[in-house]
Amino acid sequence: MDNDFLLDPAMIQEFLTESEELLQRMDQDMVTLESTPHDGELLNRIFRALHTIKGTSGFLKFEPVVRLSHRAEDVLNALRRGEVQLSKRMIDALLAARDHLGRMLSDIRAGGLQQYSIDGLVAELETVQKPLAIAPPLDDTSTASGSPTMAQPASAPASPASQTPESGAATAAVPGNQKAGSADSSDATMRVNVRKLDDLINLIGELVLERNRLVQLSRDCSAGRLALEKLDSVLSQSAARLSFITEELQTTGLKTRMVPIDAVFRKFPRLVRDLAHNLHKEVELEIRGQETEIDKTMVELIGDPLVHLVRNSLDHGIELPETRAGAGKPRQGTIRLEARQEGDQIIILVADDGAGINPDRVLRKAVEKGLVTAERARQLTSREILDFIFLPGFSTAEKVNDLSGRGVGMDVVRSNLKRMNGTIQLDSVPAKGTTVKLRLPLTLAILPVLLVQVSDEAYALPLRAVLETSRVRSTEVHRMEGNEVLRLHGETLPLLRLRRMFDVESGDGELAEEKVVILLVGEKRVALVVDRLIGQESTVIKSLGGHLRHCSSVAGATIGGDGRVRLVLDPAGLLAAVEGPVGQEVLQ
Amino acid sequence: MESEVKVSENSTSMVSLHGSEHGHGDLLQLVSFHIGGEEFGLDILRVQEIIRIQALTRVPNSADFVDGVINLRGKVIPVIGLRKRFGLEALPHDKQTRIIVVEVKGNVLGFIVDSVSEVLRIPKDTVEPPPRLGKVEREYVSGVGKLDNRLLILLDVDRLMSDSEELISPQAASA
Repeated sequence: MDNDFLLDPAMIQEFLTESEELLQRMDQDMVTLESTPHDGELLNRIFRALHTIKGTSGFLKFEPVVRLSHRAEDVLNALRRGEVQLSKRMIDALLAARDHLGRMLSDIRAGGLQQYSIDGLVAELETVQKPLAIAPPLDDTSTASGSPTMAQPASAPASPASQTPESGAATAAVPGNQKAGSADSSDATMRVNVRKLDDLINLIGELVLERNRLVQLSRDCSAGRLALEKLDSVLSQSAARLSFITEELQTTGLKTRMVPIDAVFRKFPRLVRDLAHNLHKEVELEIRGQETEIDKTMVELIGDPLVHLVRNSLDHGIELPETRAGAGKPRQGTIRLEARQEGDQIIILVADDGAGINPDRVLRKAVEKGLVTAERARQLTSREILDFIFLPGFSTAEKVNDLSGRGVGMDVVRSNLKRMNGTIQLDSVPAKGTTVKLRLPLTLAILPVLLVQVSDEAYALPLRAVLETSRVRSTEVHRMEGNEVLRLHGETLPLLRLRRMFDVESGDGELAEEKVVILLVGEKRVALVVDRLIGQESTVIKSLGGHLRHCSSVAGATIGGDGRVRLVLDPAGLLAAVEGPVGQEVLQ
Repeated sequence: MESEVKVSENSTSMVSLHGSEHGHGDLLQLVSFHIGGEEFGLDILRVQEIIRIQALTRVPNSADFVDGVINLRGKVIPVIGLRKRFGLEALPHDKQTRIIVVEVKGNVLGFIVDSVSEVLRIPKDTVEPPPRLGKVEREYVSGVGKLDNRLLILLDVDRLMSDSEELISPQAASA
């Protein structure tokens, strides 16, 4: 009958959601604890988290989880009572326990607990909580002689199976865990502030009231109780109220999807601690604006690019303590992770006070790789030079290690951001540091568009890609290598005719004067010939559905005021369709 | 006198209806519809809903039997003209034209048919393997069902879509 508990998926789901949240927070708390070992509040919080996990997993009969969390809890308890002093070794053991718990949880999520050899870790946790073993002389001599079951894998040959995964865990297993977590995000649950839900319910109430008014209006109208001349004003009032309510509903609904960016930032203290330790660097991580709210989908997408940027800063930016001291800088480097909202955008900064990027080195590399001629190179601005970093396969790192320097990097970060409709900007001052600024839209769901008409179909163009609209005479259109181009403001732009591209039955051919929309695709500009400009609109973008998902030049669809589907065009796809895949590659 | 025939024929199906109380396996419930003068049947469990034809939005570079996309209560779904899929000439849509909404491999899509007539129950054992029809049709036919003196072509929607998972024309996919 105990098995009945075990098999209740809702209860297990609840346990997993709660425990994973607790573990994430614990990660950060443990690292903070290392610098403020006497923070009783912090100790209590970690203790309580472990206690909760132990309690629930005991109830659900996840024995290994109970055993490990129990041991870790004991260590915290000893610390709370002041029986032992906090040491780095203790934190290491606690973090290892946390990682192990995390792996057990994702195993449970994936189907069930596996076999774990946690004896070594449990013994280590038992050792570190004994006052004697942790007594002040905590040097290599005492640890080596005092405890044969140490966490360091090298000195624990007795149980290699249990220890080897441990050592790799710090760097390898952490990203692995994230993958496992995000894989099943489709049926994931999220916590929503009750206040946000109440706002939503209130608005729905108003919507119902407005509906009732409309129903009444329609009844009055058909019963002839409403004068026709009055109908116009009553109807427009109702429409105004309705559009106000739905707009509010839209923003409030989206707000329920917003979560503090802390969910992303939380894992960085641990990441920086471990990496800094591996690289023998001294780094302080400063986190600001973690309460800034971003869309839930964005949380999943922004994680990897940020990890990459922070790693870059640690690996290439921050110098070794001796080098820093020699250059007159404090031995400890600083990496700043900051988020804030500016209008309808979220700004995320990753800044370091490291060595910065040497533009000459970037330029030399670019010339070496044949990305730019030596002649042209002399005319480039420093901003243009730094832009080379975003090209695929570009890396100035002289040595390749397992963190970065393999040349897959910034281009991936940039393409990830593009997927989120975001941009990236890099500023660097040699010897002073590098700042990377990410701009993200507040949400992926609402898209301002420009509506255009081609033949009898209306299409939507993302407004952020529209530079201007203009009329051109046919004399301004020229032919170059068989393609039509347009001379505008002294520049030559490729000219695309949607009628021809989409094979819409051609009306009266080319006119003496035509309407064009100038689109910005990456750094390139493109002129799009349309029949009519309809206007701007804020729309909700929808997927075209599985079967048509890969249709190039169409980004999605929206529903128009008449209920018809309108296609949202993808400017990059349009350009790629005429330039071929080669042009696309350069743009990505 | 035609009704007389029906009654006698119906008695056989009544028997199997009765039998279905022991197990549903004996009866097939079908939605019947017409395309180009022929009557087709589609397993009712596959049909999500049947809607009237509505304004279609053409999708550039999609396969030519994809007539476009429609708005199904806020969801955008592709619709496929079964006439074109079967290689018949396209007819202008009229009052009888319907869209049958089905789910194929996790994706919702619509099939445009000339008209939808009724929901039928036919005994499973009257379904025969597809006879040698035209090649195009045979590929999507899972069998032929008999009811009274009518022949119903049973459509296999999974096979109908299997060779065209991507509803995008080849040249667009390669571009």
